[in-house]
Amino acid sequence: MAQSQGWVRRYCKAFCKGFFVAVPVAVTFLDRVACVARVEGASMQPSLNPGGSQSSDVVLLNHWKARNFQVQRGDIVSLVSPKNPEQKIIKRVIALEGDIIRTMGHKNRYVKVPRGHIWVEGDHHGHSFDSNSFGPVSLGLLHAHATHILWPPERWQKLESFLPPERSPMQSEEE
Amino acid sequence: MMLRGALGKTFRLVGYTIQYGCIAHCAFEYVGGVVMCSGPSMEPTIQNSDIVFAENLSRHFYGIQRGDIVIAKSPSDPKSNICKRVTGLEGDKILSTGPSDFFKSHSYVPMGHVWLEGDNLQNSTDSRCYGPIPYGLIRGRIFFKIWPLSDFGFLRDSPNGHRFSDD
Repeated sequence: MAQSQGWVRRYCKAFCKGFFVAVPVAVTFLDRVACVARVEGASMQPSLNPGGSQSSDVVLLNHWKARNFQVQRGDIVSLVSPKNPEQKIIKRVIALEGDIIRTMGHKNRYVKVPRGHIWVEGDHHGHSFDSNSFGPVSLGLLHAHATHILWPPERWQKLESFLPPERSPMQSEEE
Repeated sequence: MMLRGALGKTFRLVGYTIQYGCIAHCAFEYVGGVVMCSGPSMEPTIQNSDIVFAENLSRHFYGIQRGDIVIAKSPSDPKSNICKRVTGLEGDKILSTGPSDFFKSHSYVPMGHVWLEGDNLQNSTDSRCYGPIPYGLIRGRIFFKIWPLSDFGFLRDSPNGHRFSDD
């Protein structure tokens, strides 16, 4: 009797110890280092979800790369939607702070991106809810860098940071 | 022999640091933490160098309300934080009474955004200057002051009254 009780006690103790180590470490890893997410929608075609609703890509979201809010033009990033904080959107960075760009469908033809903001667009112009609709977004909403497609296996690849030449800024602050 | 002992000790130390670091991250991210505020923009409710307690549950459950004092990431500098009161939620009508003519006489807080104002209206850079900020920038809600002890306790309502209508 005493022996089986001792066994249960030791098991509970080990379980609690493991639980309070494993859960915070796992949560911190998923919040700070990397996590995976399924991409929905057609706004980033053909880079992401070229098959439409038939097969959704699963991407690796790299939080670590985005920890200092350092992004480059052409990166694919995920951010908290400025219109709906419960949703994350995944778009390509087109312009950084200080750039003047020509917009596609925004109410102003030319926009200068304010300090601390970026301009994001989906690759599938016209089918994308992006900065052309809601304007420049604050860098504070940056969630992660999408670096790789993990699923389906035939689409396994590293996502390249590529800025389409027709979307280059007209004038950037570095020049 | 001694090297193995030292190596074992180092690994254990690193292990504990990672473990407690992760617990600290989870505590601050999902529960709350202690924050020191600086600046005059929230006087008299919060003075410069006051220490307050912020909770992060409200923002995860989207329970921030009009009149709450929040910490948010600055819209123009994501690495710094601002501490202001929420005076308008999405859909509220903004009446421009401030010195800046940023908005015309009637404007609405856009969807997914909040309007922030400091309690010290004369000396506060807030939404009257940079416009409404996205809800996603809010980090937490300040509800309790712990220093100075003369002012220990829950934070007061805005001294400026309610200037927004939710229609």
